[in-house]
Amino acid sequence: MNEQTTETTTQEIARLREENAMKSDLISVSAHQLRTSLTSMKWILKMFMDGDFGQLTSEQQNFMGKAFESDERMIRLVNEMLSINHAADTLEHMRPQPVDLVALMDEVIFDFSGESYKRGIQLMFLKPESSLSPAMCDQEKIRVVLQNLIENAIKYSNSGDRVAITISEKSNMIELSVRDTGIGIPDEEQPKIFGKFFRADNAKKQDVVGSGLGLYTTKRIVELHNGKIWFNSKHGEGTTFFITLPVAPRM
Amino acid sequence: MAQKILIVEDDSFLQGLATTKLEKDGFAVMAAGDSVEASKLLESGAPDLILLDLVLPGTDGFGILKKIRENLATTKTPVIVFSNLSEAEDIKKAKDLGATEYMVKSNFTLDELSDHIKTLLAQK
Repeated sequence: MNEQTTETTTQEIARLREENAMKSDLISVSAHQLRTSLTSMKWILKMFMDGDFGQLTSEQQNFMGKAFESDERMIRLVNEMLSINHAADTLEHMRPQPVDLVALMDEVIFDFSGESYKRGIQLMFLKPESSLSPAMCDQEKIRVVLQNLIENAIKYSNSGDRVAITISEKSNMIELSVRDTGIGIPDEEQPKIFGKFFRADNAKKQDVVGSGLGLYTTKRIVELHNGKIWFNSKHGEGTTFFITLPVAPRM
Repeated sequence: MAQKILIVEDDSFLQGLATTKLEKDGFAVMAAGDSVEASKLLESGAPDLILLDLVLPGTDGFGILKKIRENLATTKTPVIVFSNLSEAEDIKKAKDLGATEYMVKSNFTLDELSDHIKTLLAQK
């Protein structure tokens, strides 16, 4: 490598670092703005519900409650986005411990039972016959990973479809797969799907809401755990995502 | 006599809602939109508690907190930093400057805030 190339590479790295920091700041700033609006809705809806502006009819009470819940979901989303942003940017907050991934997956599937029912999609968890070793991971960060994979599978499936989830143990790694029969990822888009803010054209066309951060952070988190993530996909036929996580060392 | 609360909040809608709720719950509320208004109100006597936003025009909440702690009249007044910032470094900075509590606005409703203020004041 000649001197000029070294210099260009150093500059390039500095530029990328700066860009990354800027994007991270952008997330923090947008989160703050979002929270301000969400907070006013939260406060005012709660005051209505508590009768601070007069008694409500039960129908009004019911709808205010729904609006409040919906606002709460949005606040959780913002909180999640911030914690993902943080999780992806730093290693220091990792709290790895032995985690039973089957139990964790059960919890995540339970959390999505309402959503999958509403969308007419069946979540099938094909559990292994014998019990698996625990994986070494930060439970809350891996929960985000599982949520992202299940959420994507549901989001990009069609009503009546099934999402199949498998888990197995292979040479000191736990392997997890999530298969959907949804819209799939077009070939030319496949190399880009783990990019920050990337959204596939067919996903955008279907008008599905997405930040373009889900798979990016999923990959970051999995790799921070020394795991791997990959996928098979065919446009129009569906996608299967795979992740591996290391087995916890035996005591 | 009603206990006095100073709210420092630049978003007039949030400020109005918080004032309404806390007055309903029996507090005497003074509200400021920035550090200049806050200083003026503080000259008229120390409140029982200060609710302080961080992102403000001009001197920010950290700067105001520093002044509050330097002022003999308010050096021991409980200050709840009430902001939508939640980065660990912001929380640490506020605590280091002498904040009594740090609450992320979007994680609380006003009745929870009001209950919390009552608990804090009862401990005084």
